[in-house]
Amino acid sequence: MDAVRLMKELRVNYEQEVDFLPREAGLDLIVSAQQSGGQITARSRDVTVEDLWSLTSFFGYSTQSFVQAVSLLDRFLAMMRVQPKHLSCVSLSCLHLAARVTEEECDLTPADELIRIGQCRFTASDLGRMEKIVTEKLRFKSKAVTALTFLQLYHQITLTHATYRKETLSLEKLEAQLKACLCRIAFSKAKPSVLALALLRQEMKSLQSEDMLEISFHIQRHLKIPDAELQLWSEWVARRLSDYASPKCSKPNHRKLQWIVSRRTAQNLHSHRSVPELPTIPEGCWDESESEDSGEDVMSSGDESLCSSLGSDAEGPFFPLHLRRQYLAA
Amino acid sequence: METTKLPPSSPSSPTTSFSVPSAEKVDGFPRRSMRRARQRRSHSSSQFRYQSSQVELTPLPLLKDAPVAELHDLFCKKLQQCCVLFDFLDCVADLKGKEIKRAALNELVESVATSRGVLIEPLYPEAIKMISVNIFRTLPPSENPEFDPEEDEPTLEASWPHLQLVYEFFLRFLESPDFQPSMAKRYIDQKFVLQLLELFDSEDPREREYLKTILHRVYGKLLGLRAYIRKQINNIFLRFIYETEHFNGVAELLEILGSIINGFALPLKAEHKQFLVRVLIPLHTAKSLSIFHAQLAYCVVQFMEKDATVTEYIIRGLLKYWPKTCTQKEVMFLGEIEEILDVIEPSQFIRIQEPLFKQIAACISSPHFQVAERALYFWNNEYILSLIEENCQVILPLVFATLYRVSKEHWNQTIVSLIYNVLKTFMEMNSKLFDDLTASYKVEKQKEMKRERERADLWRGLEEYQERRMQMLTEAARNQRNLQERGERGDPLSPSSTQMAQSDQPEPKPSGASTGAGESAT
Repeated sequence: MDAVRLMKELRVNYEQEVDFLPREAGLDLIVSAQQSGGQITARSRDVTVEDLWSLTSFFGYSTQSFVQAVSLLDRFLAMMRVQPKHLSCVSLSCLHLAARVTEEECDLTPADELIRIGQCRFTASDLGRMEKIVTEKLRFKSKAVTALTFLQLYHQITLTHATYRKETLSLEKLEAQLKACLCRIAFSKAKPSVLALALLRQEMKSLQSEDMLEISFHIQRHLKIPDAELQLWSEWVARRLSDYASPKCSKPNHRKLQWIVSRRTAQNLHSHRSVPELPTIPEGCWDESESEDSGEDVMSSGDESLCSSLGSDAEGPFFPLHLRRQYLAA
Repeated sequence: METTKLPPSSPSSPTTSFSVPSAEKVDGFPRRSMRRARQRRSHSSSQFRYQSSQVELTPLPLLKDAPVAELHDLFCKKLQQCCVLFDFLDCVADLKGKEIKRAALNELVESVATSRGVLIEPLYPEAIKMISVNIFRTLPPSENPEFDPEEDEPTLEASWPHLQLVYEFFLRFLESPDFQPSMAKRYIDQKFVLQLLELFDSEDPREREYLKTILHRVYGKLLGLRAYIRKQINNIFLRFIYETEHFNGVAELLEILGSIINGFALPLKAEHKQFLVRVLIPLHTAKSLSIFHAQLAYCVVQFMEKDATVTEYIIRGLLKYWPKTCTQKEVMFLGEIEEILDVIEPSQFIRIQEPLFKQIAACISSPHFQVAERALYFWNNEYILSLIEENCQVILPLVFATLYRVSKEHWNQTIVSLIYNVLKTFMEMNSKLFDDLTASYKVEKQKEMKRERERADLWRGLEEYQERRMQMLTEAARNQRNLQERGERGDPLSPSSTQMAQSDQPEPKPSGASTGAGESAT
């Protein structure tokens, strides 16, 4: 019975998802914009979304808040011509709006903290005004239907059909992968149902579960998703995920973060870099032969003693006898 | 609490303890302001010794006026004159003599500095003798027995007007182009050097400055003494670390060592490596580290630049001696670690990254904001960042949990901001690793919360059980009393009173009247 209800819900959402798609023309404009043109580019949008993810993660917001925020952001950017300098304000207000409808009251971070941590230059009242604008323009009332909605439904449906596989198909992993995709504007054009299905199939393929793939076919047929469309997005998803999962660590190359430290720490930071005043005295290889007391004073022990020296400091002729005893006793 | 009047400081009895009224103490310790500068006591000043026959100095003709044939003789006579010592604690004593000596010293300095051909063989012993007589003395004990090198003003040497010129003369003598090490080494011997080193304990920083330069030149020119000097410096340091924890000249000696280390030949001798491990690293444990830390760190970094293989010893040594209670020292250690990491080779970094970043994680979670800040600031260093990025897989798991936890708990807003920066940097390095760690962190958190809930439930269950049992007991006792009363009254319905009197505990007997609690007892 549960399965039937889920399928019905699936249908309902499928019908509604069109309302929440960003305008394709608007997205194209962003993608084609040049860096120097004074417009928002794909790169700047992607960087902003990554910032949103950092904040979501840092404040412990759920993936839902993030996905809702990205949905709001993409729709707004596709509809309005936003100046690059306002981009951070827009994105933060989307996050704040999304969090307000998703998170518990007690978990909500106040706007001031959001702005401070995000190292933004506008004020909380600016944020408030932007939120009003976004709400108005998008006629924002409640949560949008997003790829996450579908992912969650697909996941539930799969489990009802194949309960013995509960542990292996991880919703958390799928959510993380969805997040990785949403960080690229290319995926904003995809219909959420298709994107979610592509992700699902990708994961099922990697788990090599024929039963689960059967279920995904079942869903595809139910929603009448064309093969070609699914294939196209599956390819994009596969490529994005292989980038995401590469073990290579990349150099952080975004705009510089501000590293603010307290005055006292700042004072001490470079106080040690002092140029030595005394000129270097080169050690000559003839030092030992010239030395009048080369025999007893110079250490003859080789590197072996050095290896154990950290453990037993009191060995060797170098260490004066009376101090050796005291050190051992200490 | 009545405040007692402060006793006047008496110059005559050096052993009188200065009793501080309790009102002037903070946390039981006398405040620093209470340590008054005492009247200079003229206890047997080690500088001035009454000579058996106080020599009257007569002014001699000027050196520059002397004909060449008499120059050296005059020079000698002036040196001998300068062997007479004067009492500077008494400001008005023998002003004429002091001036004569001062003028003579000045001339000698000028002469050695400017003229050529002045330093001939016979002058060497006279010059060294004059220098020895003037500078070698037992240093007086500190006027302030609680002298804190970091806070208090040092006591300056009273006879500095003459002493400074003697040092100047010595320095020029060593630096003169006519100076012959082969001749000098007969007079500047081990005994001389040992006494010179002991003078580094002087409280007067000007004196130490001169000594530093002088010893530097001696080390540079008299090769035969080098090993001895190194050995004696080691002894001084070891005594300082393990016995006395008092020596005023550590910073100066370290500066000299810095220039020596800089000149080490490669491959590094074992002796030098042992010096690093047995002396330099333990030197970090000294309480007064802040005075000489800059010089010490320089020496350590120089060692690393000479021979990268010592890196592991250095880092492990520092980690072993990591300050546990002194946060000021911890900040210094962190600064030194950053300097070390600035020059570390990637292959060496890999060997020590795990224990190092475990310590860094501990510093990040320190409640002292300066320690946490300093540790977090490492991520602002380009080179360190590149090292972290190459070894992200190892390092991120070590610090991740700490970063997350501290971001939620720390009181200081600056720290929270810095942690965000660090987390964001990691996120950009490797998203997947970051997400994986986030997921497992959340799972751990859930498990922990579940364990907490189960524990709370268990205790609640026990408390409820305890309550129920108490209820049962009180009810049973009440029932028992009722039955007793009825039995005494001769109630026909009650069983015999003797039977009831015996049972104190309510046992689940089959007889319906005795058990008070309706439900089962256990």
